[in-house]
Amino acid sequence: MSPTTQGAIVLIVTLVVLLSGAPVAFGLGAIAISFLVIFQGFDALHVVAETFYTGLQDFTLVSIPMFVMMGAAIGSSPAGKDLYEALDRWLYRVPGGLVISNLGACAIFAALTGSSPACCAAIGKMGIPEMRKRGYPDDVATGSICAGGTLGILIPPSITFILYGIATETSIGRLFLAGVVPGLMLTGLFMLWTVFIIWKRGFHSHAIDFRYSWKQKFESIPKIAPFIAIIAGVMYVLYGGVATPSEAAGVGAALCVVMAVVIYRMWSPDKWWAILRDTTRESVMILMIIATAVLFGYMLTSLYLTQTLAHAIADMHVNKWVLMLMINLFLLVSGFFIPPAAIILMTSPILLPIITAAGFDPVWFGVVMTINMEIGLIHPPVGLNIYIVSSIAPDVPVTKVMWGTIPYVLCMMLQIVLLCLLPEIATWLPDHLMGAIHAGGG
Amino acid sequence: MDLFIRAVTRISQLCGIIAAGLIAGGVLIVCQMVFVRYVLNQNTIWQTDFTTYCLVGATFIGSPFVLLTRGHVNVDVLPLYLGQTARYWLALASILMSLSFCLVMTVLTFNFWHEAWEQNWVSDSMWRARLWIPYATMPIGLGLIMLQYVVDLLSLLTGRQPPFGLKPRETAEEAAREQARQALGETQ
Repeated sequence: MSPTTQGAIVLIVTLVVLLSGAPVAFGLGAIAISFLVIFQGFDALHVVAETFYTGLQDFTLVSIPMFVMMGAAIGSSPAGKDLYEALDRWLYRVPGGLVISNLGACAIFAALTGSSPACCAAIGKMGIPEMRKRGYPDDVATGSICAGGTLGILIPPSITFILYGIATETSIGRLFLAGVVPGLMLTGLFMLWTVFIIWKRGFHSHAIDFRYSWKQKFESIPKIAPFIAIIAGVMYVLYGGVATPSEAAGVGAALCVVMAVVIYRMWSPDKWWAILRDTTRESVMILMIIATAVLFGYMLTSLYLTQTLAHAIADMHVNKWVLMLMINLFLLVSGFFIPPAAIILMTSPILLPIITAAGFDPVWFGVVMTINMEIGLIHPPVGLNIYIVSSIAPDVPVTKVMWGTIPYVLCMMLQIVLLCLLPEIATWLPDHLMGAIHAGGG
Repeated sequence: MDLFIRAVTRISQLCGIIAAGLIAGGVLIVCQMVFVRYVLNQNTIWQTDFTTYCLVGATFIGSPFVLLTRGHVNVDVLPLYLGQTARYWLALASILMSLSFCLVMTVLTFNFWHEAWEQNWVSDSMWRARLWIPYATMPIGLGLIMLQYVVDLLSLLTGRQPPFGLKPRETAEEAAREQARQALGETQ
């Protein structure tokens, strides 16, 4: 049987298994073992256990539970409320200040926690009622929070980038830096659109009937500043070459837990357990997918399927931008159904040889892929953010929330187009701070 | 049967506590390593390996707990749009497939562990750690996932649990709302 036919069979079976509702981790593992036995016989099983174990024996992977714990500690504390209050109290008299404080709080909190649902919940609980109280349209109030929550996977530290870095052997530090400018630009685009639409609809975008005192303005800052300082410290240590990502994340996680406990008096063992439980659930889920994705990747490589696909696409001599469009459409549709972590671990090792052969920079592609994954977070049927926001504002029909997110989806698509037109948006900062590398060098 | 289900549930919960302990231990060891390396300016020998082994252990030992709490991500689009009967058969097929995978992997990882034990394999690092210890977490964890899957299978066959944990006639929107409620609960 030719590798092309084998590839087609593997693709169809993978889709069927994933759609069957089985956990992605076990589904991938089952497919890998089955095809190894079918095409190579039982001898192929000798290396399976070792490959499975080797997939996890990497010190870089230690950074995943550490960053997850950092996010869980901040997410389970009322830090989101304080962050929102701090920004609102400083910006409430600026035209569009409420939008800026909401989306700004989303961007900062998303970066701190790395969790899209946690961000939507924390900022949305404060921001949505306040926006509605001040006369903002329901679709703008809910849609902006849905979109703001997605920024967490783009603005560093981001677990999505760690997974992409591991799956494609691309520098995680470089990916983190590459996410900064597009992340800020996207936040800016969200803000611009929101200010524009509320201005166009004739709503007051700033509060004119009350003032916060200086005491009130400074009240929330001491609570939130330590968390921002820790994350800034982690990033500095990472880029200063002082420590590895895992070391920086480990110390950051411990400090975030201590700060959450001290500042918010989270002494009860229940709260400690909640942080540890959430960290364990999320980390184990991701690490198990990594282990089986390595097995899946091993099966694809040992059957020469990855190489055959890359050659077949290269032989088609498709225009590289048409190819990029097709890849993005494929990722977009996948993102409607499958969570970002699973998509990245499954597809990026297959896509990497294709995109490097077409002359794209893997770091740049990591950013494009991540923005693409953000769309899936606010798009039905999975679109978890939509339903979180809908739970916060139950009287707003879910269809209105969905329509409210559409302009932000278009902002994300525009950001991808901008990245295609000007790849330096992503590559300038890492090249400037870490030195330029040639495409394909990772 | 209820006793068996309760016992396995307890074991899976205990696995969650052990995995959480291993992750917390990993964080503390990384902090100790940073202190020794950057503050005391001394070499570290065992910490990198130890933390990696903690994480490998947490992944396998914690997996039954994650399965119990439905934390392993899946794509539930098809189950949500199917009728009750088709949903039941699909759940049965998906459980049997995952169970078979865990069974095969338990056997393969047990053999791998056994080889490491018999031949006294040690790590390449300066620490020369005995590899059968981290390797043991694989067959133990996978065996316990298998046990949790047997419980899931029994619960499905006897009607104790609906297929995929979805209520009869639960729509995609209701399921998404339920997921959102859970996520909101976790971030309180």
